[in-house]
Amino acid sequence: MAALLGVLALTVACGTDGARSPDAVTLAELPWDSVVERARGSDVVWRMWRGDPAINAYVDDWVAPRLEERYGIRLRATQGQGAELVNALVVEREAGARGVGDLVWINGETFHNLMQESLLQGPWAHRIPAAELVDSASAIVMRDFEQDLAGFESPWGRVQFSLIYDTLRTPEPPRTVEELGRWIDRNPGRFTHDQSFTGITFLKGLMYALGGGVDEFRGGFDQEAYLSGRDTLFGWLRARTPHFWREGRVYPSGVADLHRLFANGEVDFSMSNNHNEAVTKARQGVLPASARALVLRDGTIANAHYVGIPFNAPNPAGAMVVANFLLSPEAQLEKDRPDVWGDGSVLAIERLPAEWRARFEATERDPRAVPMDTLTRYARPEVAPEYHERLQADWRTLIRAGG
Amino acid sequence: MTRPSEKSFGIAAALVLAAPVVVGTGYATAAALGLAGAGATGQASLDRAVAVLTDPVVWGGTLWILWVAAASTVLSAAIAIAIAVTFRGAGRLDALGRTLAVLPLPVPHLVAAVGGLLVLGQSGLIARVAFHLGFIDGPAAMPALVYDPAGIGLVLALTWKEVPFLTLVAVSVLATRGDALERTARGLGAGRRDVFWRVTWPVLWRGLMPAAVAVFTFVAGSYEAAVILAPSDPLALPVLTWERFVDAGLGQRADAYVLALLGFGIALAAVAVHEWVRARIGLLDGGSA
Amino acid sequence: MSARVRSAPGVRPGAGSTFRWSVLVVLGVWALAPLVLLVVVSASGGWRFPSLLGADPGLGAWRAVGAASGSLWAALGTSTLVGVGTGVAAAALGLPLGRALSNLRGAWRIVGAGCAFMPVAAPPLALGVGLQYSFLRMDLGGGVAGVILAHLIPALGYTSLFFLGVFAVFDREIESEARRLGADAWQVLTRVTLPLLRRPLAEAFVLGFLVSWAQVPLTLLVGQGQVRTLTVQVLSWVQAGQDPLAAAGAVLLVVPPLLLMGGASLAFQRAQVVAP
Repeated sequence: MAALLGVLALTVACGTDGARSPDAVTLAELPWDSVVERARGSDVVWRMWRGDPAINAYVDDWVAPRLEERYGIRLRATQGQGAELVNALVVEREAGARGVGDLVWINGETFHNLMQESLLQGPWAHRIPAAELVDSASAIVMRDFEQDLAGFESPWGRVQFSLIYDTLRTPEPPRTVEELGRWIDRNPGRFTHDQSFTGITFLKGLMYALGGGVDEFRGGFDQEAYLSGRDTLFGWLRARTPHFWREGRVYPSGVADLHRLFANGEVDFSMSNNHNEAVTKARQGVLPASARALVLRDGTIANAHYVGIPFNAPNPAGAMVVANFLLSPEAQLEKDRPDVWGDGSVLAIERLPAEWRARFEATERDPRAVPMDTLTRYARPEVAPEYHERLQADWRTLIRAGG
Repeated sequence: MTRPSEKSFGIAAALVLAAPVVVGTGYATAAALGLAGAGATGQASLDRAVAVLTDPVVWGGTLWILWVAAASTVLSAAIAIAIAVTFRGAGRLDALGRTLAVLPLPVPHLVAAVGGLLVLGQSGLIARVAFHLGFIDGPAAMPALVYDPAGIGLVLALTWKEVPFLTLVAVSVLATRGDALERTARGLGAGRRDVFWRVTWPVLWRGLMPAAVAVFTFVAGSYEAAVILAPSDPLALPVLTWERFVDAGLGQRADAYVLALLGFGIALAAVAVHEWVRARIGLLDGGSA
Repeated sequence: MSARVRSAPGVRPGAGSTFRWSVLVVLGVWALAPLVLLVVVSASGGWRFPSLLGADPGLGAWRAVGAASGSLWAALGTSTLVGVGTGVAAAALGLPLGRALSNLRGAWRIVGAGCAFMPVAAPPLALGVGLQYSFLRMDLGGGVAGVILAHLIPALGYTSLFFLGVFAVFDREIESEARRLGADAWQVLTRVTLPLLRRPLAEAFVLGFLVSWAQVPLTLLVGQGQVRTLTVQVLSWVQAGQDPLAAAGAVLLVVPPLLLMGGASLAFQRAQVVAP
């Protein structure tokens, strides 16, 4: 009993730290060397999605040792992503608890919610040295769901949505939304999508295609554009869902459940926000080796993902150094490798030194991956986050009827 | 005779044990009224509570989990009674039967659910065996036992997990109360069938009642099994609560507190029933509270 | 054999033997199949329909799974730490609480038992939702100490009820006798009471350990996703589609409790032989 109380007391005492380190805004104004010095020998906790062993291996076994070696930073990646992360930060602020994470992996509506609630520190991201290497001409990288990064998040990677099919089961897959619709009608029970981020991204892509193109939805959130796009989409869906898996009455909760259905032959299509998912998951044995990625000719959504620093980060200096390292050509190249993660680089290739340019261009392109120019031709940007949030809520209420 | 200090220690103990639940319920109430939590308006309002409690999705999810709890409790109780009666002897066969029945006792509910997914899924073990035996030609032909609106897979997985506990209770009840009464009845000349239906069966179901209510309560509040095996519609109450609680839209988060209160309410009702049942059984047995 | 099987009501002797053997086989399959399957899937190297053993079954696959994720072993360690902490605290605190409750009489006894049942009956998810703020406020969020305290809430309910039952039949005369013989309260406690309660204390530890070991929502909500117990990790892997990894974690989740229960019952059987 005494021991228990002792442990309690110790935890409470250690909770209140004495000196507060300066925040990222202040640090961003200092010369970079002093930030690195401040970060040396410190611990950085990075809250990110930990559901993919390949990404975990990249972060734990490649990034972390190099950070330790070059900057003396001990990186520890822990779980925390999306709505759960926003929730955790809101509760931490409410309770006045000390911060748990220094760096967070975010994008899209998570960024939107964090900004709305003022849960991120900044601006800082435009002041780190590696920010010069970022592809500032790319609308995909520089706008997060049409939001200005404003220095509150630093780019990390970019991906493009694609469907996944099995060449053995579906040698002639549909290539457009219309063909997909016909395929679903002719093959009842063999298609579905998940309830989470990937599934809603798929629906958004459909909404663009059926609604006359992404341009109808650009330029901020427009209630009327949304409602009209949504109604067209839901009309299309209602005609098709009786031919979905389980007659559209049940949906897999996440994209991983959809992969499981696809791998087990219960459905013939999966999907992913990452264009290299088919390749990397096939290497992991999660998807069959005959799986390939497919980009619909109506266009698929390309987006980027970022890292940010939460308002109560105990070690913003360390977080900034980590973010800077993540943008280094070396780290971006490693991440892009199909046998590591296959996550696209956010750097402007032409601004890199010649030897790096050559290495990027020579990156082993797995023959099973979608060619770069195909990806670029069919890339469509994300639009305002409200579209995603409203679509998710309305899909749950009107189609799934479980929300 | 209870000394006054003993009584106050007892009451203090009761308070210590109940305190976390009271605090949790209190905060959830405050948050449900909009006085606490993210998105708190600072003004007490029943709006969100009313909106949630009149939402058909919420009632669908609540009734669904209550159905699953009832079905799995009844099924596990029936199996437990059958096992207790079939293997009540002192021989090796009986001991083996009882051991096998009790084996899953320490297995966490989560593991039972994962096992259920792998065995009962449309591409699970049973489907694969059926495929190899030629009964079905693909996962789609296998009846849907998980993520299904009836919750059959979830009921089976929970039954698998609850049978050991109820078997233990049933065996204990038979050994302590059943034997003596049965001997008396047989001594008075009752036939085998009569002894079973008039002595054994009543003793068993009465003795099992408190445990069954406990099992029901636990299942109705269980999150981890439902999140793995339950369908998306109707959305079981625990999963719905979690979904609202981690929703990025803060308005939805407030709903989660109302749903948590609903969960507490169900548990409170179950506790009341449990104590009432125990009190009644105690009276019948001559007091063994 | 049939001579030792009493003709229990509802069971026909003799002919019942075949019936009972077949029930036994069904029972064995029912109890063991899911557990065996978990082992098979964890060593499968990818378990896709309609394969029964997996794409690449064998020890190699198990080793690969174990190596692929340091978090498997880290999670096992965290679960053990939290479980042992909860078990010890629940047993140590449940004893005095249960005893205090057993001193109540009449209506108060019912109230007391009801209060002890409340943390047991309350859904852990609802508890977590309601208490997350308080835990964070006390700076107990995101850490092992906080998670142990959170697990203690239901665990203490279980062990208090358990000790309530123990003390209901405990013979206080022994303690009174010891005091009449001149022992003071401390000596009574350490020399008389506790030795008699060795077995219940061990059982209470196992009970508290198991309650903590299987816990999911409280760990997620109080641990803020930072305390990765094995249950939380397995759920995460299931949701990420990493089936062999999830199965391996599930196997590890089952082994310590089975060992604990098996060890406990063996110890008691031996104790009964020694001191019937």
